[in-house]
Order: sequence, then C-alpha cells, then structure tokens
Amino acid sequence: MTRRTRENLRQAATHAALLLLAIVFLAPLLWMVSTAVKPLDQTMVSPPVWIPDRPQWENFWKALSYNADELGYVPFLVYGRNTLYVTVLAVIGSVVSNTLVAYSFARLRWRGRDLLFGVTLATMMVPGPVLMVPTYVLFREFGWIGTFRPLWVPAFFGGAFNIFLLRQFLKTIPMELSEAARIDGASEWQTFLRVIVPLARPVLTVVALFTFMWAWNDFMGPLLYLTDQHTFTLSMGLQFFQSQHTGTPWNLLMAASLIVVLPVILVFLFAQRVFIQGIATTGIKG
Amino acid sequence: MLGWLAVAAAGLWAFVGSERAASRQTGSDRIVVTYWEKWTGDEKRSMQRVVDAFNASQDRIEVRMLSISGIAEKTLLATSGGNPPDVAGLWADQVVQFADAGALEDLTDLAREFGISKSDYIENYWKMVVYKGRLYALPTTPGCNALYVNRALMPPEYDSPEEFPQTLSEFDRFVDRVSRRGPDGRLKTVAFLPRDGWGLWGMPYLFGGGFVQDGKIDVNGPDDVKAWTWVHSFAVRFGVRETQAFRSGFGNYSSPQNPFLSGKLAAYSDGPWFGNFIRLYNPKVDWFAVPMPHPDGRPDLAGYTWLNLNTLMIPRGAKHKREAFGFIAFVQRQPVMERLCMDQWCNTPLARVSREFLERHPNKAIALFDRLARGRRAVRPVQMGIAGQIGSEVGNAVDRMDLGEAAPQQALDEAQKRLEDLWDRYRRQVLGQ
Amino acid sequence: MRPRREQWIGVLFAMPWILGFLVFLAYPLVSSFYYSFTSFSVLRKPIWIGLENYREMLGDEVFRLSLKNTLAFTAGSVPLATVAAILLALLLNTSVRGMALYRTIFYVPSLVPMVALGVLWLWVFNSQYGLLNETLRRLGLPDPAWLSDPAWAKWTLVIISIWGTGNAMVIYLAGLQDVPQSLYEAAEMDGARWWGKARHVTLPMISPVILFNVVMGIIGTLQTFALPYVMFPGGQPARSTYFFSMYLYDNAFLYQRMGYASAMGWVMFLITLALTLLALKVSAKHVHYEG
Repeated sequence: MTRRTRENLRQAATHAALLLLAIVFLAPLLWMVSTAVKPLDQTMVSPPVWIPDRPQWENFWKALSYNADELGYVPFLVYGRNTLYVTVLAVIGSVVSNTLVAYSFARLRWRGRDLLFGVTLATMMVPGPVLMVPTYVLFREFGWIGTFRPLWVPAFFGGAFNIFLLRQFLKTIPMELSEAARIDGASEWQTFLRVIVPLARPVLTVVALFTFMWAWNDFMGPLLYLTDQHTFTLSMGLQFFQSQHTGTPWNLLMAASLIVVLPVILVFLFAQRVFIQGIATTGIKG
Repeated sequence: MLGWLAVAAAGLWAFVGSERAASRQTGSDRIVVTYWEKWTGDEKRSMQRVVDAFNASQDRIEVRMLSISGIAEKTLLATSGGNPPDVAGLWADQVVQFADAGALEDLTDLAREFGISKSDYIENYWKMVVYKGRLYALPTTPGCNALYVNRALMPPEYDSPEEFPQTLSEFDRFVDRVSRRGPDGRLKTVAFLPRDGWGLWGMPYLFGGGFVQDGKIDVNGPDDVKAWTWVHSFAVRFGVRETQAFRSGFGNYSSPQNPFLSGKLAAYSDGPWFGNFIRLYNPKVDWFAVPMPHPDGRPDLAGYTWLNLNTLMIPRGAKHKREAFGFIAFVQRQPVMERLCMDQWCNTPLARVSREFLERHPNKAIALFDRLARGRRAVRPVQMGIAGQIGSEVGNAVDRMDLGEAAPQQALDEAQKRLEDLWDRYRRQVLGQ
Repeated sequence: MRPRREQWIGVLFAMPWILGFLVFLAYPLVSSFYYSFTSFSVLRKPIWIGLENYREMLGDEVFRLSLKNTLAFTAGSVPLATVAAILLALLLNTSVRGMALYRTIFYVPSLVPMVALGVLWLWVFNSQYGLLNETLRRLGLPDPAWLSDPAWAKWTLVIISIWGTGNAMVIYLAGLQDVPQSLYEAAEMDGARWWGKARHVTLPMISPVILFNVVMGIIGTLQTFALPYVMFPGGQPARSTYFFSMYLYDNAFLYQRMGYASAMGWVMFLITLALTLLALKVSAKHVHYEG
C-alpha cells in the first residue's frame, strides 16, 4: 500500500468516525427539538415519532408563558431577565477582580506573594459542599437570602481557577514592557490598564466566557439563595416546570429547555475562535 | 459602539426589573401577605377565588398567592434563610417536623382570639394540625382515599359497589381475573397496582400494623410484613421487570394518558378530587367508588382510609403574622370552606356539613368519602419528626423487595434498625430528651 | 523606596482576593469545622456535641452507601470521559474538512444547563418510549431499564458525562496544537504508525494537560449534585444514585442537621485532598514537562 493510499484511507476512516460520533452526539439534541414540537400524546408512543404530522411550533410560546397568569408577564422572560442580571454582574466582577489579583501575583513582587499563590492553588481542592452550610449561614446573617446578592457579590472577590489562568498568562508577558512604561513615568495602575490589560484580551475573553457559562447554568446557588418565584433564574424555572404537582408537560419542558440552551450556544458560536485561541495561550498545558 | 449600548441597556433593564422582583411589597399600598401554595390549574383557580374574595372584603390587607413546586423543601429553605412567605400551603405531614425544627409560628393564641376551636372540625383532621398541645396549622382541603373502579373493565360479578370484593382474598381473585395481556404478550391492563395511586402509604394499617407503636418505631412487626408482602406480591405476580416497564409507560396524572383514564389500570386508589380529573380528561369512563378491602376474618379492620390534609401554616419569622392569620381565619368559615372543597371536589374538614354540600357536590361518591373520613379506621400520617425518613427508609425497603435484593422481613428489619438509630439521635439532639 | 511601595501596591491589587479568601473561604472552612462538632438546625443555636457526628458517620450505612456510589461513579466516569475527550481531540486534530462544525457539535453538549440535561436524558433513557432503548431494540440489543434498575442507573450518569466532555476536549485540542510537528516527523522516520506516534509523541507531550483535566475532573465529579438531583430525586432506584453531596444537602436542608452535614463536608474535603495527592504522586513518573 502506498503512502498516499494509506493517507487517504486514514482520512476516510477519520471522516467516518467523526460523522458517526457527530450523529450520536447530536441525536439527543435533535430528539429534544423533535419532542418540543409534538403534541403531548405523541410524546409517549412506541416506536417513537421523529417528525410529528403537524409540528406544534406554538409549544415554544406556550412554554415561555406557562404560569403567566400569576406572574403577570411571561415567566421565562422573567427568569431570563433575572439570569441575565446575575450573569452580567458575575462576569464583570470576575473579569475585574481576577485580573487585578492575577496582575499582582504575576508582575509585582511582594513578601508573601508566592505563599498566598500556593494557598490559592490549594483552595481549588476545597469542594463546594464543605463550604455550603457556613456560607449559607453567613448570607443569612447579612440578610441576603431571597436577594440576588449571594449570586454575584462573591464574583467581585476573585476565584482561584481564574486567578490561576490569568496569572499563567500574564507571566508570559516580558517584564521589559512594564519597565519601559515605568521609565516613561507611568504609575503601576496606568501600566496595568494601558499596557498589560490590552495584551491580555484573549485570556480575559476566556475568563468572561467561562464565568458566563458557569453563572448562566448555575443551579445550586439559585436553589439555595432565591426564595421567591419572581426571582428565579432559568435553571430554577426549568426545574420548577419539571416538578409540577400534577405531572410534567414533556413537550413544553423540552421547548423551554431549548430556549434556555440557546443563548449559551449563540455566545459560544460567536466567540468560538477567540475562546480556543485564548485557552491555547493560557498555558494550562504547562 | 452600538453593541455596547445595547448591552448596557439590557443590563439596566435587567437590574431594575430583577431588583424590583426581589421586593415583595411592590405595587400596593396595603400590607402585602405572601402566600405560597402548591396548587396549579383548576385547584389553584379555586383558591384564587377565595383570595380574591378576601382581598375584596377589606382594604387593609392584600394576599398574593404564588404557585410553588417542591413547596415543602422551598419553604424550609426560605424559613431557614430568614425570608419565608407569610402563609405556606403545606400538608399536615409537615407539622411535626417543622414544629420540632422551630420553623413554625404557634397559632394557638391567635386561634382562640379569632374564635376557632377544636369542635369546629372533624376530630381526625384536628389531630393532624395539633402537636404537643399547640396549634400549628389550620385546614384547607382534606382528603381520604377510596378505590375508583372502571365499570367497563369489570366482568359482571364485579361490576357494582355491592358486588365488588370486600376481603383481600376476594380482591386477589379479582386481580387475577381482570388483569390481561395484549397479543404481544406485554401487559395491557392490570386490575390494580399498589404502588400507583394515592393513599396506599398506609398499607400496614390496613393489615392492623403501622409505623409507630407507643412512641417507638415499629415497621417490621408481623402485620407490617404481611402488608408489604402483599404489596410485593403484585410485582412477583406480573414479573418485576414487566411491571416496571408497564409502569414507566404511564402518562401524566392530569392527562388522558393517566393510567386509570387510559384503561391501563382497572382500579385506582385516590381521593375525592380524582373525580374532577376524570371529568376533565376522560369523562366517558363509567366509574364507581368503593372502600379498600380488609383482611379476611377481620371486619374490625374495615373502613381503612388514608387521610390527607392541605393546610395553611405561618412560617417562623413571617413578617405579617397577624394579617396572615386574618386570611387563614377567613378560609375557615363554613361557606368559604365548603365552596373551596366543592370546587376542588374534596370532602370537608369541618365537623358541621351543610345538606347542600352533600347534595350538590360534583363527586357522586362524596357520601362515601365523607363517611370514611369521619370513621374510626381513618389513618393519620405519623406524627413524628422523622416521618420523612420513615417514608424514605420503608420506601427503600419496598424497592429492595421488589428488586429481589432482600426478603420482606429482612428489608424491614434493616429499615427498623436504621430508623431506631435515627429516632434515638433525633430525640437526643433535636428534642433534647 | 521601591520595594516597600511595591509591597504595598502588590497587596492592594491582590486585596479583592485576600478579602474574598478570608470571607468566603477561610471563615466558612473554619466555621464548618466548628459546626461539625455541633448539632445545628439553623433555626436554633448550635449545641456542642463533640465527636458525636463523626461517630454517627462511621455507623451510618447511608453515609457509606453514598460514599460508595460517589467513588464508583467517579471511578467510572473520569477515565471514560478522559479517554473520550482525548480521542475526540485526536480525531479533530487532523485536517478534516468541517472541523469547526464538528468541534461545535461535540462542544455544545457541555453548554446545556444541568437541569435541561436532566430532563432531556430522563426522556432519552425512558425504558418504554426513550430514544436509547428504541435504538437498542432496533439493533437487536438488550434494552435495560436504565432509570429503574439500580444496576444501570449510575451508568446513565456516566453516559451523560461522556456526552458532555466537550470542555475537556477543547482543552486537549489546544494542547495538541502545541505539539511540535518535528517530533511527529522524527517518529515517522523511526517507522512509527498512528498508534506509535500517539503513544510516544502525543500522549507524553500533552501529559500535563491530562493531569490537569483529570485532577479537575476528580474534584468536580466527587461533588456531583445538580444532575442526580433533577433526574433521581431521593437517589432512586433503591438509593443507587444517592451521591455524597445529595446526602449532605438533604441532611443540611431537609433534615435540618447542619452539624452532621458539616462533618460530612469535611470528610469530602479530606477524600478530595487524598485523591488529588494520589493523582499527583502517580503522575510524577508519567508526566513529561517541557524543559
């Protein structure tokens, strides 16, 4: 077998494998779409129907406005607004605080720096549940339970993972750049803002994206800290939908789930290239 | 640039909207009483009528009702977090656990002040809202269970309440006679499945056993074992896997695919409200209702029914306790209560019942339900702080029986041991005994 | 004086984290340690009970069961998800057409919120009407009762975690793109084929990434909560999907036993620590860092 043939065979095999896997990976999502447009009695049939005779596109509207009468306006719009609120604040807080802190770890020299960084790394091993109860009690003391604050305020105080990512990257920027700025009379703050931050844009995007996805999909936080239905986020809204007293409307639930998934997919599609490039530069690998 | 402006605008909209949503007092100059209720659909509408009537009857208080799923858990979380609703529509089952945890306001004095007393209620239901001599909740709609039977699926010897089996051995014969398989060998109709339907939690009581004896856990006595063995016999009779597969094909409770309404189950245990679901989703079903059968040779155990009580409670730390009670007292008035119960197709928790209630009630079998609820053999849920854990442990034991992991006696013995430990610890740590 | 000024400024820049660390990490960690020696239902004051909670844990079969379930699940899902992610990354690292599309397809599952996932897969795994069993039946394969059979329930979660391995895959992809072409060429000249290249060039070069992902995977999987919470309330069937964090949550918020839950939290912490150190130790021999 010539090298060329072997190469072609390999290409073909790779294509085939990828195609097969792609179908397997996509199938559940396609199934989700299919169920979302069925009438309820067609969802429970065997053998399953992929394409219903009359796709009920109105299910999307029905799902969005489920329980609309008591919230006054469309519940999923309400949930979406709440999720947007919390997520945007979390992203801003995360980007701002983590960059400041990573800058300190990467480019400033001070006593205790490496010790604190080591401790920071160690904290990544602390599982959430061990902190769950005291954090809850803490927020209770503040009187924050039932408000959105427990969901975004901590983001303004940094997080170990993002600090680690950013610090690794910032360390790769040559010190000479900071030196040059200093010689030109810039203060540390100006060096930070005008010189370093613009260079860190890809990584900042990664941090923003990770934070966005985490905050958008967060379930446990809203479960613990949001009490009133008007304040629920999308993940809580979905679960509320699912655990209805008299049984789940599967088709509407799938429709609602698709609506919840959509923004994240869009954001990812939009930022895909930057995202992957950003990860490549963070030096996670090193 | 435009993109950023749009983002900022969206952010502002989100900020204003969401922060307002977090405040409960918006849009009203009256005192706002937040009321969380578990009901949806028709049942919610029936309560909404009561809420509207209350709001219209005075101008100091405005009650706002919200439909909440997983309400017991969410109320407990909110109460622990210091931000509870003013009124919570939980079940009487939560009284003991919540009271022990210090999560409920004591309503005894308020009740006295508003002229509400024990004699106003059916004793069985009153006992469910009182704990250690103090009042913690007041009823809304009650329930008790009986067997709904689909006449169309009955052979002539079983097709009326008088002829329907009254003892367990007759009932077992009935199950074998009426269940059938389809041409593909899969189960098509099953006469009765004890894991489906409501009110079957009290199976041990049907056999003369129970969960608790003299304040001590007792889930593995001989009558209990008989009870759960009987429950388990259904899975054995039809095949464990087949029963599971059959059951996983049941549709939503409130839909035409409900197992009873779609002919998959011929007899179904449920409360009086089920009559409404039949009307809504498959009115063609010709049905009658009978009490659950009793063990052979034990007519003293006849008249079993499992009691259920929806209630209104005031969580500890509610901001408007008095106003909340004002609303609760309104619901207790006989005309209001009877209207609510009729709308939900339930029986009434009140001692007094008007003739119109029994005559005009939409559920044709209401007399049966009413009689069972007042009866001596009506069973109340366990009044113990660890009632929830009793439920999970016994449920787990039954699961294991069905899966063949353990024989009934053994599974129950293990549950008994665990529950004894849990109860012991609960008494020491929570009750300080 | 520059060093002192830099000291000051360094601390200032790091202040958000220093505060955050103290308030949201150190304080809760210490409190949780304290609570673990008390009986605490948040609506009442904590009562000191010494080692009682830990003693109870030793005799608590549900504790042991939830621990066993969690460890079994982690042992099943982390390796499989890792292998899947690496395989996908390797496949995607070739110059196939439509690479961006494939990458998106494989990544999207990890974007779906847990609740939506739970709901979707409850549907897919339904033993009578679900997509999976229908397909299996069509292929003549056995169709287990995924959701009601304790022997299979955990596997549903493993399958879902493999399906959602997009995150790790993307990180491996980035790592793969860093491997110098020259090493591959050298290997080829030594007569290496696809598997040989993978084993001697690719895997060693991305071993730090593997380590990172595996450690994060272990830490994350041990804490699994949202998916089982939505799909299997109560850890049904027969508690086979009752995981550690669910039991912890139930103890804290359902049974109001926050002291006991805190003790459980500390046990989880110690186990996570032990497993992480183990992973680091084992990796020391196999991970190749670029000099």
